Amino acid sequence: MPTAMEQLIEYIEYILTPSSPVFIVGALIVFLVPIIVHIFVSRATPYTNLPSIVLVGPPGAGKTSLQTLLERGDVAPSTHSSQVPQSIELTASVDQHLSFREAVKDDAPGEHKKFLLVDTPGHGKLRNFAMDSLVAKDGLRGIVFMLDAATLDENLAATANYLYEVLLALQKRVSSSKTSKAVTVINVLIAANKSDLFTALPATLVKSNLEAELGRIRKSRSKGLLASGVGIDDVDNEENDDWLGEYGSEKFTFGQMQEFNLEVDIIGGSVSEAKVDKWWHWVSERL
Amino acid sequence: MLDTFEILTTSGVVLWSRSRLPITPPYKSDQHTLKWTFVKELGLIFVAVYRSLLHLSWVDKLVDNIKTIFVDLYGDQIKKPNTTIVHCQEFDGYFDQQMRELESSAATKGTTQTPTFALENEESISGNLGDEPPLPPGLKHRNNAKTVHDGAHDLSSTVERQPPSCWKRRAHGQDVATCAQDAEESFRCPHVVGRRDYRPKKKAPKKGRKWDADGFADEDDDVQLDYSAAPNSVTSDSEAEGRSAARSTAVDSVDSSTWGTKTSKGQFVLRDLDDEVHDILASAQNKSSTTSSGIVGSGLSTINSLFRNVVGGKTLTKEDLAKPMDGMKEHLIKKNVAPEAAVRLRDSVEKELLGVKTGSFESIDTRIKKAMEVSLTKMLTPTSSLDLLRDIEIVTRPSGFSSQKPRPYVMSIVGVNGVGKSTNLSKICYFLLQNKMKVLVVAGDTFRSGAVEQLKVHVRNLKELTEREGGQVEIFEKGYGGDAATVARDAVRAATSEGYDVVLIDTAGRRHNDQRLMSNLEKFAKLANPDKILMVGEALVGNDSVAQARNFNASFGQGRTLDGFIISKCDTVGDMVGTLVSIVHATNVPVLFVGVGQHYSDIRNFSVRWAVEKLLNSSN
Repeated sequence: MPTAMEQLIEYIEYILTPSSPVFIVGALIVFLVPIIVHIFVSRATPYTNLPSIVLVGPPGAGKTSLQTLLERGDVAPSTHSSQVPQSIELTASVDQHLSFREAVKDDAPGEHKKFLLVDTPGHGKLRNFAMDSLVAKDGLRGIVFMLDAATLDENLAATANYLYEVLLALQKRVSSSKTSKAVTVINVLIAANKSDLFTALPATLVKSNLEAELGRIRKSRSKGLLASGVGIDDVDNEENDDWLGEYGSEKFTFGQMQEFNLEVDIIGGSVSEAKVDKWWHWVSERL
Repeated sequence: MLDTFEILTTSGVVLWSRSRLPITPPYKSDQHTLKWTFVKELGLIFVAVYRSLLHLSWVDKLVDNIKTIFVDLYGDQIKKPNTTIVHCQEFDGYFDQQMRELESSAATKGTTQTPTFALENEESISGNLGDEPPLPPGLKHRNNAKTVHDGAHDLSSTVERQPPSCWKRRAHGQDVATCAQDAEESFRCPHVVGRRDYRPKKKAPKKGRKWDADGFADEDDDVQLDYSAAPNSVTSDSEAEGRSAARSTAVDSVDSSTWGTKTSKGQFVLRDLDDEVHDILASAQNKSSTTSSGIVGSGLSTINSLFRNVVGGKTLTKEDLAKPMDGMKEHLIKKNVAPEAAVRLRDSVEKELLGVKTGSFESIDTRIKKAMEVSLTKMLTPTSSLDLLRDIEIVTRPSGFSSQKPRPYVMSIVGVNGVGKSTNLSKICYFLLQNKMKVLVVAGDTFRSGAVEQLKVHVRNLKELTEREGGQVEIFEKGYGGDAATVARDAVRAATSEGYDVVLIDTAGRRHNDQRLMSNLEKFAKLANPDKILMVGEALVGNDSVAQARNFNASFGQGRTLDGFIISKCDTVGDMVGTLVSIVHATNVPVLFVGVGQHYSDIRNFSVRWAVEKLLNSSN
């Protein structure tokens, strides 16, 4: 015991006596520890701040197919239901109208811009991924809402409901941000996929159907019950919070969304026939 | 034969697939069997599909092996961020090799063992590691690590190979060491056939050896037989060294043999692939069997883990999670979640978190809370829209395109006695009346005295309340003693002819474990054919909620389940809304409404965020 005690005292004395090794070790610790901690932390948080385009839409619309088609540039591989979001990095040329096949190549002409294309799961239980990405993303430049134009008749209610949620989230995002800096316009593309199929509706018909259905939804929502957790007091001041578009208007049109800095376009196309150039141009113009 | 094998990512992209028949999903559960495995860190799913008629016992092993090989070959590609491209065209060869190997091993298993092995080993000369016999359980790791010199032994001594007795001996440290030497010898001259047989000699002094549970021997008597290690090192150390020696020689020799074969063409390429595959499998198994090395290593890792506990970036292990996860389970049970549901939630969250890295400056508890929030949200979120008014509109005023005729929307409400069926029915009725609907309330409780009068009072009140709003409500009743199902059917008919929008059917309360009363529900569902069957459940009820929800959900006959829950009396429980979780866990049926008070207006749409917040709120 006494020897151990003495040793300890000796050590402490040595450490506390000013000498060159103690200085060097001390200085090393002082300088290196913050650097190591910094490296450690900064490595854990990825550094990406690319502009992003988010793919949303009901399941089976072709979101993952479009994403993989754009990335591979030749043929979309077969896909299954997504369970997690997936983002890929793509390069679009800003000043030239290239088809997506040419844009994928490394030596494509023109000025290039990199962006992230984020695919989200469409399944009803997994939509919180998509909704989170709509609210949180800083570099959000556009939303591509994909839908299946061939089965829109049967799925109109479900599709419109999701679109309603998406538009409402975007509208809230715009109206809630009260910062002085100019609010950027968020572009929404409604991509009517599967135009190769016989039953597919053309883009104009998709638009009118969706507008009618969205009008009905917002009407029934306004009459619906309050959500649990919302007190009676909160109701009055947020009267028109859940109303999509121009408040009190009779009919809903996508044009009403411009009031909230939302531009909505509807373009038809087909992933399986690789007719996605119009969408691709839309995306590259919005970056 | 396999119908399909697919490798896909959780984001839905199929990376590699092979299908024998052009069958497309969905696979029917009674015709096909799916075997799948999942690599969480990489988000990879491996699925094998085959006809259920064929009992393919080797598919499990195939899926596992393919997983190991694929992850080893393409793991780096998959880890790359922001891309879904994985170049794995050449994987065909690896897959074919595994298929062939496992299929043939399955075939040999069926026939008599020893002769087939001898034959196969003679056919496949040096360096073929393919045809291992079924290993005795518990010895797997060891033996697989030494596949190469096992193969070498096969050459010389196929006949005496009698698993498990001599295999057990092979698992022994000293033997491994000598084996390694033997293996070296044999690889120097791989075509030697009549090699000396050392095993019978050694058997004699080892008779008295004791075997422990792991298949290792007590090593007191013959440490000196170990040539590979320093004489006074600990047994396990020497064993490990011996093993590594064996492995290194093995790998070396395989390398040289592949060099040799590469000059020629044809079949040799396959053998080359075999070696590679087995190397991958063996190293994977080795990795899983090796634990932390030495005192210095473990000390460093402890410091590292402490550091990461604070800073974050810690990879979560089962031990890290065990205690906080149990705490989370207790917390949920305190919130009135049935233990069954709480355990399931805990297990699923634990599975999700295993091997996950915590974010920077994130403690385990916050990570668990986050994961639990996600799980609860996922569980409670309905898969379809629950906009009741919209549903009613579609049925009562169908659009011009569809061929459906307008008809009233029928809703019925079931539940245990005294949970508030009539009260919630009148609340919904009030809500519908405010939306100017024409509602028919049906007194389907023909059993309890006063039930019809109670509903009459409700209807009278509602009439007075909504006169100004423009709604219209009537009651349909046939007194007591009648059959509820027939009353309901008559009411629906009457409503159709008189142009009502909605029919609300009240039913008698019934105990969920009373078979006699529950069986009436099937007939009721058939005759009244409601668009929505809602069950009222109390927020007050505890563990019984699971059984209640399950029994009611199953009582409407085939193909008909509940469409939603109304959770009543939520105002009486405060934060303890665990019943919500229990019933959704039990049935997968969404919650539509929650009752939050005594007035007609005290009914709310169910909000998932509200529930999750309440459940995870720990200040009570």
